[in-house]
Amino acid sequence: MSADPGIWVAAILTLAIFSFLYRENPVFRFAEHLLVGVSAGYYLVQYFFSAVYRKLYVPVFDNHEYILIMGGVLGAMMFARLWRKYEWVSRYPIAFYVAAWAGYVIPSYVQVRILQQAESTMFNPMALPPAEAISNFIIFLGVVTTLSYFYFSAERKGPLKISSHVGVIFIMIGFGATFGYNVMGRISLLIGRFQFLLTDWLGIVQ
Amino acid sequence: MKRQGPVVVAFIIGMLMLIQFFTPNPFFLRLYNLFLDWKQVVLGCTLILGTWSLIRYHTRRIGRRQQNWQYSYVTLIGLAFMVLAALIWKTEGGPYRWMFQNIQVPMQATMFSLLAFYVASASYRAFRARTFAATLLLIAGALVMLGRVPVGALIGGNIGGHEVTVSTIADWILNVPNLAAKRGIMIGVGLGMTATAIKIILGIETTYLGKSD
Amino acid sequence: MAFYDRMMQIDRRIIYLCMTLAVAIPLIVPIGMPVQVSDEARGFYDHIEDLEAGDIVLFSFDYEGDVMAELNPMSIAALRHLFRQGVRVVSVTMYAGGTGIAQDILEETAAEYGKEYGIDYVFLGYNPDWSGTILRLGESFKATYPADQFGKSTREIPLMQDVETYDDIALLVSIAGSALSEYWAIWAGGRYGVTVVSGNTAIQAILIYPYYNAGQIPGFLGGLKGAAEYERLVDIPGLGIKGMDAQSVAHLLMLSFIVIGNVGYFLSRRHERKLKEE
Repeated sequence: MSADPGIWVAAILTLAIFSFLYRENPVFRFAEHLLVGVSAGYYLVQYFFSAVYRKLYVPVFDNHEYILIMGGVLGAMMFARLWRKYEWVSRYPIAFYVAAWAGYVIPSYVQVRILQQAESTMFNPMALPPAEAISNFIIFLGVVTTLSYFYFSAERKGPLKISSHVGVIFIMIGFGATFGYNVMGRISLLIGRFQFLLTDWLGIVQ
Repeated sequence: MKRQGPVVVAFIIGMLMLIQFFTPNPFFLRLYNLFLDWKQVVLGCTLILGTWSLIRYHTRRIGRRQQNWQYSYVTLIGLAFMVLAALIWKTEGGPYRWMFQNIQVPMQATMFSLLAFYVASASYRAFRARTFAATLLLIAGALVMLGRVPVGALIGGNIGGHEVTVSTIADWILNVPNLAAKRGIMIGVGLGMTATAIKIILGIETTYLGKSD
Repeated sequence: MAFYDRMMQIDRRIIYLCMTLAVAIPLIVPIGMPVQVSDEARGFYDHIEDLEAGDIVLFSFDYEGDVMAELNPMSIAALRHLFRQGVRVVSVTMYAGGTGIAQDILEETAAEYGKEYGIDYVFLGYNPDWSGTILRLGESFKATYPADQFGKSTREIPLMQDVETYDDIALLVSIAGSALSEYWAIWAGGRYGVTVVSGNTAIQAILIYPYYNAGQIPGFLGGLKGAAEYERLVDIPGLGIKGMDAQSVAHLLMLSFIVIGNVGYFLSRRHERKLKEE
């Protein structure tokens, strides 16, 4: 069993959170609120250090890049949201932020998520071994039919109807695989907590 | 001014960032770097504003004596203590780091680990092979769940000179039909995001500005 | 109540108890099932194995405490591999809550290999704005991070003298609990041509297959199993391999419950059909 008070605090709080499995109770509620408060305090310190000190104070006052003060002005304008009468002022930095993101998203997403992915879907069946050619054909079929399933601008009849039904098969297999991985992920998180309790706290497992 | 000004700003900034991708001109590169630096400060201030909203919510809860208002003291004291600990004892050691390691991280991890229980219970109760699509989902999920753990490699054998186990079947599912579906969805999402970005720059999409006055 | 109705109404607390035992018992009494290595994990391993001493790697801890059970084993194994290769590590995190975790792991693994801060590794810390940070690093590391996580100017850190842009980075490793691996591939890989390998939670890993197939992320680790595979490849057993027995038993338990529920459902439906016919 551990003699570290930190480990004991962590273990007790872990069990307090687990107590929710039985039913909600004051111990869980205390632990939950403590988590929110401590996390918020931690994040506040990190945001201040990274955004205000490192991205504003150091470049402007240590490195003399005075034009970066504009970032501080835009950031300060966000606080106008605290007063309803001046809330509109915060629309400027929001518009700046969202539009800057939109500007570089267009070429990036078109290149990486659309064109390169489409390119990878194309294949030359004559240049591949039979098994690989069949797999690549299935991928090609799956991509086209999945996209056709999400095409809602035309009535679902004829080839589009057949294509979207085939697309559903691929989508369901994809969702099944997602479910399997989801379960795997959740159980891994539980294994992590048990490893902590059994190894670090109780010392039952080496 | 209150609404049209930001839309004009969005158009100018968006077009500059878009043009910059296609030209090596030093002026545009300088603007690009400036905008990225300003963006980071804006987001940092927004996150600080979010923390302020949390403080305001809990102080109001205490003031109005709403349900479980006493627990708001726990939140506010925890927050205040972390900030004070960082100011007095700095962030590299001391109570700030101790509370992060022994309070925040363990509880965060435990909160998410509860989902393992809920996914087990919910799957047992709701996952029924009622239709063809549901059956397909169930079979694919079962094969991947078994195939992606060591026990999957032990179920199966040699068929026609090829090793066919639950693991190899799961690998095929992940690298062929699953890949096809995810790629199709990804291309669709990519097209949608590109369209949304264009609409934002052109001022067609203005929901990010909030309600009109 | 008929037995097939009882099959569909097992109390949730019994399910919780069974799940607890399914996870705890294999941890206490290991079975020792062998871990097979996937091609994806081998790709991740090979890209690090091909690095030379003195190369610089950008290592991003893109997660917080909520998913550390899956990702800490990967981060630790990858850093051990990198330090063993003599590779220098520039580390960042895209999550405010990831700073403490990254700091702890870096200090522990660096101490194992006698690595010195500022010379062999540096921790630049957290910056708000994922996409902005990733793109800005492509133009200047020092402008993106004027100071490291501890407030020291990056112009004064010896390792940072050899790093200006992505051109100086041999490999980018992203250990992510979200879509950040994809964003590194889109912006660092797409615009600046950096090779990106990733370690992901299981929930995120399912989405990486299109990038892997297209060569945009040539190797990745998926979930705790991915961590176990990598630990096997680097021959440093850790929490990944130790958790695999529990993972296997828990999965078998989950499937058993799903089968029980479905058997009860179909028997109940057959009974209802029989009653209707009568």
